[in-house]
Amino acid sequence: MADDQRPVISRRDLLKGVGAAGAAAILPPAISKASAQAPGVPAVPAPAARASLASVPRSRRLENLTADEADVIEAIMARLIPSDEMGPGAVEAGALNFLDRALGGFLAEEREEYRDNLAALDRYCRMSRGAPFVELSPVDQDSVLIDLEGGSATGSGAGFTGSSGAFFGMLKSHTWQGTFGDPYYGGNADFIGWDLIRYPGVRLGVSQADQERLEAGELQPNRRSAYDYEMFEKATALRSSQRGATHGD
Amino acid sequence: MKPSFSLALLAALLTALPAARDAHGQAYHPILVESPTMQTGQPMPREYTPDGRNVSPPLRWSNLPTGTRQIAVVCEDHGAGNPPPWVHWIIYNLPASAQGLPENLPIYPDAPMPEELTGAVQGKNGWGRPIYRGPAPPLGTLHNYNFFVYALDTELDLPPGLTREELMERIEGHIIGRGAMVPFYYRGPAPDEEEQ
Repeated sequence: MADDQRPVISRRDLLKGVGAAGAAAILPPAISKASAQAPGVPAVPAPAARASLASVPRSRRLENLTADEADVIEAIMARLIPSDEMGPGAVEAGALNFLDRALGGFLAEEREEYRDNLAALDRYCRMSRGAPFVELSPVDQDSVLIDLEGGSATGSGAGFTGSSGAFFGMLKSHTWQGTFGDPYYGGNADFIGWDLIRYPGVRLGVSQADQERLEAGELQPNRRSAYDYEMFEKATALRSSQRGATHGD
Repeated sequence: MKPSFSLALLAALLTALPAARDAHGQAYHPILVESPTMQTGQPMPREYTPDGRNVSPPLRWSNLPTGTRQIAVVCEDHGAGNPPPWVHWIIYNLPASAQGLPENLPIYPDAPMPEELTGAVQGKNGWGRPIYRGPAPPLGTLHNYNFFVYALDTELDLPPGLTREELMERIEGHIIGRGAMVPFYYRGPAPDEEEQ
């Protein structure tokens, strides 16, 4: 078949998975916006205006990943949650920024795993498809990710630590976290992730009127991080400031 | 140690031949299954495995029994799975006019099939995906891959995404012919290691 831009994860699967897990996957075709509403996910007005963000290149300041590593991870994230007619995806949400920052903090123990497995992925792509991941066609990128997920990418001396499936699972989880987690952690830029799943935002109270608006799909999203509320302790920010990091609030 | 290709051929033949009868012991009409790039007892090209691009291989079939109304294809490895076989590919609702499958069928379930295969859909493989995924045996092992072609005496409008068990349940009693091609795949060390 001809190469095309279909994502490795369908919006339907994605939204089902996220909906089931709360506002915190994987692979095949783009689906229509109309059929993407996840069961049980409150309907919030669609972020039509945000779709234009998909074509806006974002500047990137890396703290832990190398530029080459970031390029590969971002290319993978773009296949896992692509920007499409439904709106921006993981790249625009800054999932890479979340991961890069987290690898110097609460995910520091996984930094080495990323280094080793990204090198293994590069070997695997060159040996099996003849080019590094970022240079493959979208369909070949998806094919690689499917083999990665299924644990089949073990040949050609790739040398994934554990299994390629474990690495895929880790990267998928971090893509989700960076897209749908609280923006405080560096991802979900402009609440793109929450808009994508129609999450109305963190609220300390919900009135009867709010509930009725929510059920009618008329509740406006509350664009606030949980850490904008004084009652939530900024544990991660504390650790970051102790390291002398400048990000956080 | 390098695999013995003659042993692989013998194993392939033993795998392919005894099952060519239905549940009542009736012999199936033999379908000839071929490929421009593979043959029974010979290694599968890397292109059809995750050591290559992992695209689906081309198949050709002939000598379909009279009365064939539809065709189904299953690729399975009887040396893997719990219980075996491990399923690599299922495609069905193939029109009786189809004479084979081209290389590199879609890996996206909603992508259109080639015109000559209109109506065909893919079932779930062992990884739970309705697409072709090629041999991925453990390093240093040789496995045989049975490409079975079934001729059916009726047109079944089966939904996409059936498992092998579900497909076999649906087509039981409608199989009037069967053929197989059984290439093998040996997953050796990386090329640079082989040169040492």
